[in-house]
Amino acid sequence: MKNGYYQERIRDIYGYISDNLYLNRPDIDIKGERFNSTLLFCLLTGLNGGKELIIGEPGLGKTTSAEYAGSILYRYPLGVIWGSEVSGHPEQTEEKIIGRPDLGELNKGKEEVVWTNFAQIPVKIVDEINRLPETKQSMILNGVDRGNWEYLNEILINDEYSLFATANYQDRGTNTIIAPLIDRFDILVESRHPGPNIAFTIGKETRLNHPLRHPQYEKDLYQILRGNKPYDEKMAMAEEICDLVGEHMKETLGVKGLNKGERSEIKEEMVDIDFDLDANAFVRTLLAELSFCHKYGQKRSVEVCEEGCHYTGYLCHHIKNCASNRLPTSIRNYSQALAWFLEDDEIDIEHVRLVIPYTLAHRIQWKDSYLSRKEGEGRNDPFQIYLAKEATEEIFQRYNEQREYLLEALSIGWRAFAGEEITPLDGDHPIYEEIKKDIGAKDEKSF
Amino acid sequence: MPKMKNPFEAFHQTSSRKREIPLDKILKSKEETLSKVLKGYEDLLKNEAKDLVWLMQYSTVIKAYSIAEKGIEGIEYTAEDIEEFCYALDRTDQIPYLITGPAGVYISTLCNYAKEEEIALHLRDLNVKINLLGYRLPPNKKLIVEGNVGDFTGIGLDGGELIIEGSGKNYTGAGMKRGKIIVRHNLGFNTGHGMTGGEIIAGGRIKGLGKIVGGKIFEREHPIFPNEGVKPFYF
Repeated sequence: MKNGYYQERIRDIYGYISDNLYLNRPDIDIKGERFNSTLLFCLLTGLNGGKELIIGEPGLGKTTSAEYAGSILYRYPLGVIWGSEVSGHPEQTEEKIIGRPDLGELNKGKEEVVWTNFAQIPVKIVDEINRLPETKQSMILNGVDRGNWEYLNEILINDEYSLFATANYQDRGTNTIIAPLIDRFDILVESRHPGPNIAFTIGKETRLNHPLRHPQYEKDLYQILRGNKPYDEKMAMAEEICDLVGEHMKETLGVKGLNKGERSEIKEEMVDIDFDLDANAFVRTLLAELSFCHKYGQKRSVEVCEEGCHYTGYLCHHIKNCASNRLPTSIRNYSQALAWFLEDDEIDIEHVRLVIPYTLAHRIQWKDSYLSRKEGEGRNDPFQIYLAKEATEEIFQRYNEQREYLLEALSIGWRAFAGEEITPLDGDHPIYEEIKKDIGAKDEKSF
Repeated sequence: MPKMKNPFEAFHQTSSRKREIPLDKILKSKEETLSKVLKGYEDLLKNEAKDLVWLMQYSTVIKAYSIAEKGIEGIEYTAEDIEEFCYALDRTDQIPYLITGPAGVYISTLCNYAKEEEIALHLRDLNVKINLLGYRLPPNKKLIVEGNVGDFTGIGLDGGELIIEGSGKNYTGAGMKRGKIIVRHNLGFNTGHGMTGGEIIAGGRIKGLGKIVGGKIFEREHPIFPNEGVKPFYF
C-alpha cells in the first residue's frame, strides 16, 4: 500500500469524530502536532487490539468516545455497538455478559450455549466497570486478557478484539477494580470536559438520526449474531454486512472504516516498527526503577523497604508493587501504534515519553507517604495520570544525565552475556545492578 | 542447558553488516586510505569543535566545508571508503568523538570530490543519523543514501541529485539552488526553508514547510509548493 495511505484514513476518522461527534480540546503534543488524548488513544486501541480504561466525570463522553471510534474503525453500526455493551452493576450475571444455555435445546436435553453479542463482536465496551462487584469482576478476567470466553463446556475465542471500559470516580456505588483486572488494561485515559465554549455548542445541531446508525444493517447483524452457525462463519457473514456499512459510511460521512484485511495489514505494519536505541534504553531504565528492590531482590506489594536505602531517591522507594510483564507489552504496542500513526520509521524517545504515563497510571501503587506529599500540587490531569507523568519525566531526566554511560553499560552487558570476560560497569541506578544480575556478575542473595 | 537469548542484543555496537568482500580487497592500502580520511576528519574537529560543541550556523558550515576541502586534498579514495568512514564514525574505538554536524560536512565534501559520478552509501546499519549529508552536491553528481538521515540534509544543493532511501528530518533542502532531492519516506519540519530552486520529492509525509522562495516540493506525488495555499516567500 502507498506510503501513509492508511494513516491518512485514520486521520480522517479522527477529524470526523473530533469535528462532529466527540467535541474536545487537544491536550497532548507530539512532534509539533496536538491531539486529544482520549480520542487518539481510542483509535490506537482499536487499531492495535488494545484494552483501554477511560475514566472521568459522568456525562463527559467516556462511553461515546469508545463507541464512535469502535463503530467507525470496525464498521459496526452504532445500534449493534450499543446492543453489545455490558454495563457494570451489582446484579450483573455471567449469563448477561458471556452466554446462556439455549433454553429450547436444554428442554430437549441438549446443552448448547447462546453467546452474547458482547462475547462475539470485536468491539467490546464495558460501561462503568467499577460498578461490578469485585467477585463479578473475576468473570471477565480471561475474556479481557485473551479474548477467551467460556461457558458450560464451550469456549469462544475472538481472533481480534479491542476492549474499552469506562469508570466513574469513586462514589457510594463504585467498587475497587481488582489488581489482576486493572493490570490487564493497557492504558488509562481521562475523558475531560472540553471547556465551556465547546461544551456550549454540543447538541446545537440536533439530528433525527444518528449518522452512525443504520437500522436495517443493525437488524441483519443481530440476526447473524443470534444464529446458531459456528462462530467463524458468523463473523465472516457479519464482515459482509460490515462491508455494506462501510460503503454507507463512506457515502454519507466521507470516512472509510477498515475491513478485517486492512486491520490486519495495519497490525503487520505496526509490528515491524522497532525501538531506536534511546527509546529501548529508556524503557529499560524505567522498568528497572519499577521492579528493583535493593533489599528484597525485587518489588513485592507485601514487602516495604524502609528509609535509608541507598536507592531512596528512586521510584522503587516510592511504590508498593512491582511492574508486571504486561507493562512493557503495553508500552511497545501503543508506542508502535503511535509511531505508525505519525508515520515514523522507529519508536523514538518522544513516542515512549508520551505513551508511558498512560500505561503506568493505573498500574502503580504509590506509598501513602508519597501520595500525601504530592497531593496538593497544582495539576491539569487526574492524580494518577499526573503522578505517572511526573514519574516518567523524573526517570527521563535521570536517563538523560547518564545516557552515554548507560548505553555503554548495556553494550558491555551484551559482550559479557555473549561470553566475553569483561567487567560490568557500576553506576548509580538500579539498571546497573540488573545488568549485573543478567550476566551473572552479581549473586542473588542466599537465604 | 539451552542457551538463553542475549537480552542486550540491541546494544551490540559492532556493526552487524556482513558484506562479501574478496580477500584481496582487504589490503593495507584500504586501511591506509581510511586512516588518511580519518586524519582529515580529526583535523576538521581540531579546528572546528575544540570544546565538543558545534553550533549550526550557515557561516560555520561554510567554514567547516573549506577546512574539509583542505583535509581531503591528495587522498585517493572511492565511494566504498566513504562508506567505511561512516561506519568508522559509529565505532568509538576508531574515532575519539562523533559530532554529527562536522561529520556530515566532511562526508559531503568527500562525496562532492569523489571520482565517481554516482555514489551509493549503505548506511542502514548506522546507529547515528548524520546531519548535513548532500551539502552543496554539485551538478552531474548523484548521491544515494540507503537508510535514514538527520537534519539539514541536502542544504545548499547545487545541481546534484540526492536520493534518500529512508526518511529525513528537519530543514531538508534548506537554501538549495538547483538539483533534486528524492526521499522515499518522510520529512520533518522547515523543509525547503530558503530554497530558491530545484525539487524536493517526498514519498511520505512532510511535517512542515519552511519559508520557500522558489523551486518545487512534492508530497506523495502531489505538488504542495507552489500551490494556492503556500505562496513564495520574499526574504
